[in-house]
Amino acid sequence: MPSTPHVVVIGGGSTGAGIARDLSMRGVEVTLLEQGNLTHGTTGRMHGLLHSGGRYAVADQASAEECIEENRVLRDIASHCVEMTGGLFVKRPEDSEEYFQEKLAGCRECGIPAEVISAEEARSMEPHLAADIEKAITVPDGAVDPFRLVVANAASAQEHGARIETHSTVTDLLVEDEEVVGVEVEHASGPGKRVHGTEGGREEIRADYVVNATGAWAGRIGEMAGVDIEVRPSKGVMTIMNVRQVDTVINRCKPKGDADIVVPHETTAILGTTDEEVDDPEDYPEEQWEVDMMIDTLKELVPMLEKARTIRSFWGVRPLYEPPDVGSEDPTDITRDYFLLDHAERDGLDGMTSIVGGKFTTYRMMGEEISDHVCEKFGIDADCRTDEVPLPGSEEFSVLRDYMDEFGLRSPIGRRSVERLGSRAEEVLDTDEPNPVVCGCEGVTRAEVQDAIEGAGSDLNAVRIRTRASMGNCQGGFCCHRLANELSREYDEVTTRAAWDELLQERWKGQRHALWGEQLSQAMLNYAMQAATQNRDSDPADGDDIEFAAFDGGREAPDPSADEAGVATDGGEDGH
Amino acid sequence: MSDADSPPTDAPSDDSFEPVEPNTGEEFEPVDVFPDSEDFDLRPGADSCYKCSTCDTNCPVAEVDDEFPGPKFQGPEQWRLKQTDDDHTVDDSIMDCSNCMRCDNACPSGVPLSQMHNTARGEYVSQEMSKTSVEYWRNRILSNYRTSAWLASKLPRVANFAMNFGPARWLMEKTMGVTKEREFPEFARQTFREWWASEGGAAGSRERARERRERRGDPVDADKKIAYFHGCYSNYNTPEVAKALVRVYEHFGYEIVVPDQKCSGTPMFANGMLADARRHAEVNISSMADLIEEGYDAIASCTSCSMALRQEYPELFDIEGVDDVAAHTFESVEYLRIHEDLKGAVQAAEIDDDLAEEFAYHAPCHARNQGLDRQAVELFGDLDGVGIEDVGDSCSGISGTYGWKAEKYEKSMQIGEEMFEHMEAADGEVGMTECPTCAMQMEHGTGYEIRHPMELLEAALVD
Ligand SMILES: Cc1cc2nc3c(=O)[nH]c(=O)nc-3n(C[C@H](O)[C@H](O)[C@H](O)COP(=O)(O)OP(=O)(O)OC[C@H]3O[C@@H](n4cnc5c(N)ncnc54)[C@H](O)[C@@H]3O)c2cc1C
Ligand code: SF4
Ligand code: SF4
Repeated sequence: MPSTPHVVVIGGGSTGAGIARDLSMRGVEVTLLEQGNLTHGTTGRMHGLLHSGGRYAVADQASAEECIEENRVLRDIASHCVEMTGGLFVKRPEDSEEYFQEKLAGCRECGIPAEVISAEEARSMEPHLAADIEKAITVPDGAVDPFRLVVANAASAQEHGARIETHSTVTDLLVEDEEVVGVEVEHASGPGKRVHGTEGGREEIRADYVVNATGAWAGRIGEMAGVDIEVRPSKGVMTIMNVRQVDTVINRCKPKGDADIVVPHETTAILGTTDEEVDDPEDYPEEQWEVDMMIDTLKELVPMLEKARTIRSFWGVRPLYEPPDVGSEDPTDITRDYFLLDHAERDGLDGMTSIVGGKFTTYRMMGEEISDHVCEKFGIDADCRTDEVPLPGSEEFSVLRDYMDEFGLRSPIGRRSVERLGSRAEEVLDTDEPNPVVCGCEGVTRAEVQDAIEGAGSDLNAVRIRTRASMGNCQGGFCCHRLANELSREYDEVTTRAAWDELLQERWKGQRHALWGEQLSQAMLNYAMQAATQNRDSDPADGDDIEFAAFDGGREAPDPSADEAGVATDGGEDGH
Repeated sequence: MSDADSPPTDAPSDDSFEPVEPNTGEEFEPVDVFPDSEDFDLRPGADSCYKCSTCDTNCPVAEVDDEFPGPKFQGPEQWRLKQTDDDHTVDDSIMDCSNCMRCDNACPSGVPLSQMHNTARGEYVSQEMSKTSVEYWRNRILSNYRTSAWLASKLPRVANFAMNFGPARWLMEKTMGVTKEREFPEFARQTFREWWASEGGAAGSRERARERRERRGDPVDADKKIAYFHGCYSNYNTPEVAKALVRVYEHFGYEIVVPDQKCSGTPMFANGMLADARRHAEVNISSMADLIEEGYDAIASCTSCSMALRQEYPELFDIEGVDDVAAHTFESVEYLRIHEDLKGAVQAAEIDDDLAEEFAYHAPCHARNQGLDRQAVELFGDLDGVGIEDVGDSCSGISGTYGWKAEKYEKSMQIGEEMFEHMEAADGEVGMTECPTCAMQMEHGTGYEIRHPMELLEAALVD
């Protein structure tokens, strides 16, 4: 056994990134492999709720307790990714009083601070709550930015020596004598940071141990070594509003149901969600009625949602797992807890463990548990420190808040930048060069974009998730070309064009389910402008056209440019 | 104290004015948690912006001031970025907006830009501007013009001298940041209100109106009555405009009341002094609302005053009666064009006295917002003995108090450049506009004498 074992972690979601950080902090040599961008999978398509545990306090108390514990940890170590908005469970007159009491008792049993407040108090906190609500329970829910958090975990892992490979798909497991000894990887471009157009290639990576953290895809990795992992993917829809209608997380106090939560997230509010089992985590229907239902149901809690602007809808699949003997009919009954499947014990296959189920909120705890497990195997005696060492960006954040105005930026832009960058703000924003705003909707400046390009290579979707550029109300209509321009300072024309195409494609697709009212005007304007001033409808110098027509046919429309893992995160089946 | 004492009669005309349909979100009625709060919900306004930047390309300040980020940022963008955190503060560039409100008119999507700017400016001044700073007090004094004017009117001759006395002006620029480049307007020896009282006030007006009706062959009891909102300027500085209005309206058989009133608030909005503005608005709305209930319509001869009553009050203040007042407020020429055959009367008239001139007409931005930018040209084009030429749709650049600030003076003149050139190129050497501060700027830039349309109407119609 080598003195420093090499562990391959498959999956660059919150779970994989959390494991990579934990293991590398304990001195293990780690390679993280992700087929798309970081957060390409479920992590990039989740609701952004930092659970207090309140949602599970009645039916799934084990999960609830983990949530409140991790909720407290993340506020500390990931302060620049978390906004402690607080949350409410709101009871409407038709909702059951008995359940309300159960919820309250459940929260208290699980150690979740919970208080009952009157309708007046609730409405003074959130004036847009419906006038006829009866009362509410307060809980410490929060909002969390999954992109920032995963990128920070990966950056920390990298600081501790880990190798992070994105756009690198594991195509096979190397199995020798009933033991997994490595993986076969297909790199979309060369190793290291992604650069469009760079020759990719196949690589065999030998490893002392493999951790399968591929969430809803875990079964596929299992198949490569002939083991069965019964992940039951369940899809959920989320709709993003242009502005925050509420500043507190609003839950409906009902046993279970679709469309029962609004999360204020950054500049927006996100409505969700549904829970419906699907066969294939990459190919499932995205239907308009699901979006309509979000708005129709949630307007019972927040009436102004009915007329408010939506900017985008997206779907995600939960990597739910239940031990084969449980057999729940309804996916909402499946536990939200996570499971560590040691394939040696379970299937007689050495060298690999899968981690399935769980939630974003508990990613760190999952990472800790599996790292303990791996360290034990290799006899490494190192304590987990991820619960106390802040992530890059979350160090001494409060001190920095006082210096916010010093970067010569307009007040709301400076503040938003510092909220995103946390303790890295000075390093990134303190520049002698001109620092114009590149994305007006989200207030992202050139310095922040350049910093993201440095970290992400020529991938503008990766720049997007790091900065939020192009995620505001115009959905990139006015900044995609500026982002491409920023890229062109470092990369050649072919590379820049490819990245620009990809970003535009990704932005267009997610708007398909929001095209009415203001967002339709926005799309028409963006189209006219991009077609007329940037040749985006048919550029003679460019091979691939932007698929503007994808709107018309919706999901039935053919998808000619479906290059596998090119386009990332939100956008569901068509967005890969 | 109002001098309106007529019994209530039929409701007046219902031609209410809708400049744009600002998406103010009032229909959602959020709970009134803080009954005193002046916060209107601006979410629907922020939702309406689709970032086209038309507002930015129409902003006269952005055109000359590279540091000014423009209305799109000041309004919907800043609002949306700021709402994520209570600690967020309004950027100080909001103080560089002149409140010309051209952006309001430019937006194709109904974003209530000026409402957003006024709200943000109010927040900036109340939360971030030092109450002991020179800028605060300079702005406060400038925006409370009415108070200074009232004082000056007590001793107009002394005031006229002192206000334009070189060393004093030098000192004002140095210590207060009021530009010494401009001439202070002269104060009239007799204010309009003093004159009005001497003419018998409302009772006198009723008598004269009845006499006129008789002569015109109208029913003597015709329901023609207006409440005149003269504003500060025509009371203290240009009573000839106010007097002209009285004579023209009486000529058409209207009886006039001149109710108790304070500043319309226009300069206060532009300086973020919302508390001051509200205090004045309360007086104005209360006296106007009572009269409107009795069947009067509110008429202003200053287009910024009519703008304040029509648009800014309901956008910013939740005062009882504010919507009624807004719906029954009109500009003076506009109202006659609606209710009288003004065109016919003008066509039949002729000017042969000292107003037989070629006029270079500038439409104030606030007139533009009310759809009134062509009224004077359309009307006087048919008047024998005079000529009138529209000098184009640029902003005069003074925007009330904006051009009085030392640090804004140059920009103000740069904005005005286009108008000055067009005035020089026009035939005549007399200017015309509805707005008193545009008039100041026109005179300052060209040396022309500037007239109000009411004065020309008086010359044409009243014998
Ligand atoms: C609709 C919805 C809403 C949710 N909301 C919340 C919430 O508000 N709060 C919360 O705490 N949790 C929430 N969750 C749950 C949470 O999002 C997930 O539990 C969590 O993100 C899972 O992370 P993961 O890393 O395990 O999986 P993923 O994020 O899916 O990561 C797996 C990664 O593996 C990669 N991968 C797969 N196959 C390969 C391969 N062959 N080679 C290389 N890489 C591969 C994928 O591309 C993917 O990026 C929500 C889930 C859904 C579906
Ligand atoms: S009110 Fe005038 S100066 Fe202010 S932002 Fe609008 S257009 Fe520009
Ligand atoms: S004109 Fe209206 S829609 Fe266009 S950017 Fe300005 S505020 Fe937005």
